Amino acid sequence: MAIFRCCFETQLSDFFEPVVQKCTDPGCCCWCCSALRPRYKRLVDNIFPVNPQDGLIKNNMEKLTFYALSSPEKLDRIGEYLYQKAARDIYRRRNGLVVIAMEAMDQLLLACHAQTLNLFVESFLKMVQKLLESTEPQLQILATQSFVRFANIEEDTPSYHRRYDFFVSKFSAMCHSNHTNRDWCNQIRLAGIRGLQGVVRKTVSDDLVENIWEPVHMDKIMPSLLYNMQNARYPISQPGSPAPHGEEDRQDPPTLAESCMRELVGRASFGHIKSVLRPVLRHLDLHKLWVPNEFAIHAFKIIMFSIQSQYSYTVVETLMAHLDDNSTSSPEIRTSIADVLSKIIAIAAGESVGPSVLEIINSLLNHLRVSVSKLAKAEDSARHKHASKDDSTHEKLYQEALINALGEFANHLPDYQKIEIMMFIMSKVPHSEQDGDVLLQSMLLKSLLKVGTKYQTIQLNQAFPVNFLERLLRMSVGPNPDMRLLVNKIFHTLLDRHLNLEKLLKPTVDVDSLKLTVTKSSRLDAIFIRKHGGDIFLTLYESLELPSNTVENIEAAYTTTALICIELVCEESVCDLLRLIMSIQDLALTSSKLSLHQKYQLHAVVASLLALVPHCVPLSSLQTYADKIIATRIAKAPYLLPPLMRHYDSTTVPAGDVLLDQPQITSCLAEAGLDATQMARPHTGSLQHRHSWVDSGMGGSAAELNSMEVDSVSSSPGVVKKFPEEELTFESLKRILSPENVESRKEADEEKRLRLCETYRSASFTELVQHTQSKGDILNDKLNQLLKGLATKQTLRYLSERRDTERERERDDDRKSEADSEEERDHFDRHSPHSHSRSHSSDHLPPAPQPLYETLFPELFVY
Amino acid sequence: MPKRHFKIQGEPLLYSCYDDVVFIYIQFIMEDYKFLFKVVLVGNAGVGKTCLVRRFTQGLFPPGQGATIGVDFMIKTVEIDGEKVKLQIWDTAGQERFRSITQSYYRSAHALILVYDISCQPTFDCLPDWLREIEEYASNKVLRILVGNKMDREDREIPMHVGEDFAQRHDMYFLETSAKEAENVEKLFMEIAAELMEQARSKELPRYDTNSPTINGRTTSIGDSNCCSKLS
Ligand SMILES: Nc1nc2c(ncn2[C@@H]2O[C@H](COP(=O)(O)OP(=O)(O)O)[C@@H](O)[C@H]2O)c(=O)[nH]1
Ligand SMILES: [Mg+2]
Repeated sequence: MAIFRCCFETQLSDFFEPVVQKCTDPGCCCWCCSALRPRYKRLVDNIFPVNPQDGLIKNNMEKLTFYALSSPEKLDRIGEYLYQKAARDIYRRRNGLVVIAMEAMDQLLLACHAQTLNLFVESFLKMVQKLLESTEPQLQILATQSFVRFANIEEDTPSYHRRYDFFVSKFSAMCHSNHTNRDWCNQIRLAGIRGLQGVVRKTVSDDLVENIWEPVHMDKIMPSLLYNMQNARYPISQPGSPAPHGEEDRQDPPTLAESCMRELVGRASFGHIKSVLRPVLRHLDLHKLWVPNEFAIHAFKIIMFSIQSQYSYTVVETLMAHLDDNSTSSPEIRTSIADVLSKIIAIAAGESVGPSVLEIINSLLNHLRVSVSKLAKAEDSARHKHASKDDSTHEKLYQEALINALGEFANHLPDYQKIEIMMFIMSKVPHSEQDGDVLLQSMLLKSLLKVGTKYQTIQLNQAFPVNFLERLLRMSVGPNPDMRLLVNKIFHTLLDRHLNLEKLLKPTVDVDSLKLTVTKSSRLDAIFIRKHGGDIFLTLYESLELPSNTVENIEAAYTTTALICIELVCEESVCDLLRLIMSIQDLALTSSKLSLHQKYQLHAVVASLLALVPHCVPLSSLQTYADKIIATRIAKAPYLLPPLMRHYDSTTVPAGDVLLDQPQITSCLAEAGLDATQMARPHTGSLQHRHSWVDSGMGGSAAELNSMEVDSVSSSPGVVKKFPEEELTFESLKRILSPENVESRKEADEEKRLRLCETYRSASFTELVQHTQSKGDILNDKLNQLLKGLATKQTLRYLSERRDTERERERDDDRKSEADSEEERDHFDRHSPHSHSRSHSSDHLPPAPQPLYETLFPELFVY
Repeated sequence: MPKRHFKIQGEPLLYSCYDDVVFIYIQFIMEDYKFLFKVVLVGNAGVGKTCLVRRFTQGLFPPGQGATIGVDFMIKTVEIDGEKVKLQIWDTAGQERFRSITQSYYRSAHALILVYDISCQPTFDCLPDWLREIEEYASNKVLRILVGNKMDREDREIPMHVGEDFAQRHDMYFLETSAKEAENVEKLFMEIAAELMEQARSKELPRYDTNSPTINGRTTSIGDSNCCSKLS
């Protein structure tokens, strides 16, 4: 029923030409009418050979070109005529002639002046379109080549009316060619990509010509490029390196598509980025290219490396938003997206400034928070056997990926921003200790640790701003052992300036073999340790008191102390450290809460630290002493030496010469010319309250002591007591508390401890409580007795004097730190030595009046 | 020596009014058709979209060609009431993973042909999903045609009236076709062309872009090549 109908050519050129053609075969017809035909038509006709195989007749083409150049006003008609001829030939499948027409068009296009081109271009593009509409791969490819040639010409007058819709649509379709002949398929796809590249080049510089960035175009271009790229085995090659020149000659679609993508993305301005990225994300979603994510990483790296760097942040932002959109997707997909994020985020870091940095961090932390609560729910339902264990494993992987992204990001920020970020993360760490919060806490601390590991500490006061340090310290004595471990690790990475961390992970007494890098601590270090040493040592001590400590916790505390020793401790502060070491030993000897294993572990830590000190501060006699102790332990009590073990077979309570002896250490210090009396002074107020030798052997807690202090002050408000300054030394105080002299005390202690151990093993809990309480009471009584006898009229006078000397000391400190930064001084001004050394404990205690014996024995508090 | 530019970027110059006038004129004389319509085929993979297009544009029923990837393009010029109408036919891949690229073609479509396979219930069951897609991505004025293909098959699962009902409920044209037996294929496209032309004449046709300038305001009759169209 189909009928064929001929449509005769009726030219609108009725106006221009008197001749109406009825032509079915230009070959003959045009020949016979040629005399009547205008010159341009004859010139055009003459370029075609009788036999298409002979190709364009070069001489005649030159004539046509010359004519076109000399009469540019005819150019439009030449173009139109060539187009009409080609359209006919396409229909008749005389492809040879079509090719010739196109070639002629190309030559004219290149030969003609830009000014006159505009009129010609329209027919040129019509021709290209006509060829693209053909089903012949050969013609499509030919058309693309011509189009690309045209695209590379810069027209003086862009044509705002010209639209490239069709070209974008058609080239995109070609990019997906499914031709059964593999070779054709490849060629058509290559042509499609080249065509798209051409459109981009042609339009990109001027939105008015055609806004190539419109979603209607980008939604075609990006998937077409990606589709070709994803089919390659994408190379491991550095996507950062610019594509080699001459890539257009390369014959594989993936490479070409990639370089086209680079070019396109590189030209995107801020407003365009969303419309470039949206189809990319959709494509990756639909083609399920997130898991595994090699291609996604590849694609995003290309984008990151080609996008104008000031916008790279937007890519990160967009990917982050995509993570939001995928909040209900499987954890695998989220992990993969987060992983892509971590792979590209570093590239953005270099360019991100100001608020955008914290925005990124904040967003990552939010994802982390959401995931944590999701995990909590998942584990909850897993407990009720609703969900698989798998889910939570994947969720955890996702969290790791987020943290990695965070770390990667931070890694590429300048150090001052890392500090900011660490403080920012710290500010997000929940304070409470509820179940859900613990998870979040640990995630955030892990993030913090990640950032910390990327930070290169130079000045400790910069690495540890006061608020940050205080928060860290507080958390290092928190109830959760895992959290304490994390906090210690944060300390490790921030303290370790000389890359000793690896060597100090496990306690050891063989310090020589560690080959530690030790440099003399600087003035600023000394100031830092003077300001914060008290708090830090006290907290370390407190953290070791906790019965929930694992071997890892104890080792971590050792590492922290060892790093402080190496990084910070100088002659001035070595006493404090030795005091801490002695306190740890006392703790190991007397604690009623720690297990025997933990106590042995503490002894091993004590030995390791003692061995380390002479390597940091030149104290040869201490070295000798340490060697002696270690030798004794090797001989008598190897269980008091590292390595730390989870379980010890020994039940011996150490005593005698296997223990560190305080007077001997004091004399070692004295020998080195250090102020040995310092050794007899507690190094901080707070530590002194509780853990100096004074309370060795007694179970009273700080709270008891504090309340006692408050009581003793308030109970005798008006009583002014005599202050026997010359008599009251630390030793006298000690004597009052433990009547035996030092030597006999040791033996007595040993006995007492054996007894204690025995009691503790056999006695019931309530008995123990009573026991320790009664001990505390004895101490209270003794102290009360002592203090009542001490307070004198002079107290007030003394107090005011003391305040003066304190102020003097502050001024002195100020002078010393003149070289320091403003901030440094600020801290000095705000924190008197006492107030900041106590700021830690004052967090959970009401601001108590200054403890009585702190006011009474000021020399004990010399800072 | 002719001035050539291979630079890619450059300052646009002002476009003169004169050039504009000349351009419009040239655009008119160069078109070999009066109307250009874009037709997009959608529907599940395997319902016979590609076969329908091939049957219409090439007059053949292709033996075992692979599934369409992304989008395919065909052109066909027909004559309706003595007017040349050029149909740009975009044949989309039915697979989900190509949805991002195929959807981008909906937007500029004048007509959307939604195809299902009368011998395959699932392809019919997916129609609401497809409608939702069309709703979201295509112009609301788009001409929508529901096509039940493979009517030659013996193992029909969807009775014709069911398809008809569905089409009516969703305000679509309806037709059953067989690409294999060339049943109703010409009719399908010709009716689309006729309907679109009707709409264009009454100026209801949305103007998606200026790539079809001939639709509007042409009075002069167009010169065309002696091209032959097969009409049903
Ligand atoms: N019997 C029959 N088979 C058809 C018809 N149209 C298409 N097919 C077959 O259906 C299969 C899919 O056709 P195709 O056009 O590729 O479907 P598309 O994925 O929608 O493009 C092919 O095996 C065709 O041979 C038809 O009208 N009748
Ligand atoms: Mg198909």
